[in-house]
Amino acid sequence: MFGWTGTILRIDLTKGTVNREATELKLAHEYVGARGLGVRIISDEVDPKADPLGPDNKLIFAPGPLTGTFAPSAGRYDVITKGPLNGVIAASNSGGAFGPELKYAGYDALIIEGKAAKPTYLWIKDDEVEIRDAAALWGHTTPDTTDLVRDETDEDAKVACIGPAGEKLALLANVMNDMFRAAGRTGVGAVMGSKNLKAIAVQGNGAVKVADPEAFRAAVMKARKMIQAHPVGGAGLKAYGTDVLVNILNSIGALPTRNYQDGYYPTADKVGGESLSAKQLIRPKGCFSCIISCGRVTKVDSPGYEGFGEGPEYESAWSFGPDCDIDDLDAITKANFLCNEYGLDTISLGSTIACAMELFERGFITAKDTDGIQLVFGNTAAMVEMTRKACMGEGFGVKLAQGSYRLAESYGHPEYSMTCKKQEMPAYDPRGVQGIGLNYATGNRGGCHVRGYTIAVEVLANGAEMDPHVTEGKAGLDILFQNLTAALDSSGACLFATFGIGGAELAEMLTAATGVEYSLEAFLRAGERIWNAERLWNLKAGFTAADDTLPERLLKEPIKTGPSKGLVNRLGEMLPGYYLERGWDENGVPTKAKLKELALV
Amino acid sequence: MNVQYFATFRELTGERARRIDEPPATLGGLLQALSGRYGAAFRRAVFDGERLSAIVIILVNGRSVHFTGGLDTPLSPDDQVSIFPMVAGG
Repeated sequence: MFGWTGTILRIDLTKGTVNREATELKLAHEYVGARGLGVRIISDEVDPKADPLGPDNKLIFAPGPLTGTFAPSAGRYDVITKGPLNGVIAASNSGGAFGPELKYAGYDALIIEGKAAKPTYLWIKDDEVEIRDAAALWGHTTPDTTDLVRDETDEDAKVACIGPAGEKLALLANVMNDMFRAAGRTGVGAVMGSKNLKAIAVQGNGAVKVADPEAFRAAVMKARKMIQAHPVGGAGLKAYGTDVLVNILNSIGALPTRNYQDGYYPTADKVGGESLSAKQLIRPKGCFSCIISCGRVTKVDSPGYEGFGEGPEYESAWSFGPDCDIDDLDAITKANFLCNEYGLDTISLGSTIACAMELFERGFITAKDTDGIQLVFGNTAAMVEMTRKACMGEGFGVKLAQGSYRLAESYGHPEYSMTCKKQEMPAYDPRGVQGIGLNYATGNRGGCHVRGYTIAVEVLANGAEMDPHVTEGKAGLDILFQNLTAALDSSGACLFATFGIGGAELAEMLTAATGVEYSLEAFLRAGERIWNAERLWNLKAGFTAADDTLPERLLKEPIKTGPSKGLVNRLGEMLPGYYLERGWDENGVPTKAKLKELALV
Repeated sequence: MNVQYFATFRELTGERARRIDEPPATLGGLLQALSGRYGAAFRRAVFDGERLSAIVIILVNGRSVHFTGGLDTPLSPDDQVSIFPMVAGG
């Protein structure tokens, strides 16, 4: 096999067994790898009604066929499982160098089953796999865990691990790899914790074989040049990081403020990428095989907020910032550092704190609930303290670490949770940008921007431009982005490669790497297949069309100030057309004809 | 009128914002005037020959000028103009 390694590792933590299986070629072709392959395996092997934190759930780590090659930004992998936050089929994507190392060790996927009797870590060195005692690691932060694991294995081992939050089964817990990269959303870290699995260390001495080295090299060089020539891929992201988006979203009036009570934040500039570059940034950083270098190595010296690490990204700067009415970038950066160290999703936690602030201000919770802290919007110290408590599982933080839906519902007011399918929406107000609202509502893992990033066209003019205020054409836009992103995620390339290249270039590299003919159409169809597979699984897990919606606030309460003042999201104008164009019935169920077309029956 | 500069435009102009009391009637006129003020690098960043550059994002009162007439977008003294290089994130 080329691109793919041909081997999957299956590890049963209950029995303590390790088995090697052949990667099924047909499945690899149809589902590509990473997210797609993981979705197919979970679909085949995990009951959609299973307890996500029980031993019948499975946890898959899977790179893509391009991962580990020198295709541009081809360092990604996914963590796929039944997500504990909301019960969907979750696939959290991450960068760094862990994914490539899995390929060099010889694996297309790790399937982790059952539950270890006590804290455990995996040490994978090529075809030697050990299940080891993790007693000495349990309780440690992710950077310390990484160092300790390397002491016991190899100083160059690549490590993915959970922090204390995952150990405590916090529903917002993530998996961190290479110190500061996150497989962030949907609580995948809690699944790892539920299996008593603290870390995975990998070292690989192999290589990724490509089918047609000359054609691959030519396709890669062409793609690299295109990314280099692109203003964002070639320069902008490296200079300012993703946080550069704060000012443009604010300038169009779609920067969610105070738990989505408004869409404009007057002091937004203080938390944007320009400010981050001037103050907290030490240097940019790139993942494996990446020239884009959007990562930020950062440091804070202010007393009380001292720290070192990476980030914040745009979504994180937003969630701890304007969403909480906070414009102190040192405090925001500190909150981000804490979440990375303890292993919690920054988007969801910041939004949950904002939800708690609104509940507090409305009198539904009081200082008695919040450990004596005045948890009001704009209270910077309170935001950081609550982040710390959530990270450590202390006091009110225990509730925060379960996400805003459960928090708000427990106080009788779920309408203040800014979530879709119980997962917090990120940093784009759908009242100001119609198409991203459709993406949030139809997202297979709930509130999520990244899998259907229509912002690229509705706001950022990347390749095309569509008016953010109109609903026409947005169903088609969302479907295209969702399908393309599913295929791209599954290939192992980074989404940011699309600042420069498109589906055609990805299909070309995939063809040359694997030796399987992927036309652009076949590549997009694979993405459509993966999207539909996720939808089917979610329907079996109990989701319905009623869940394809936005919080009432976004449908009924207009934005109060700024350039998008007076607007609401008009989901009703987009959703029926979306179902139709997807080949689903009026209840959002894929028709038999569509399933047959995608070979999903 | 208030013109705001973001990302690389802050380096190009040396400023974050500039008040303009009597703006030209159209965006095209404004960009010509600003190019005169800030020089060739600014001009190259906003124009592609005679046309608006494809890699700049300009908002007037929060709306992309792509939808309001491009260089012919009419301007009035109360407007807010925001100038961005193409940016991205997530």
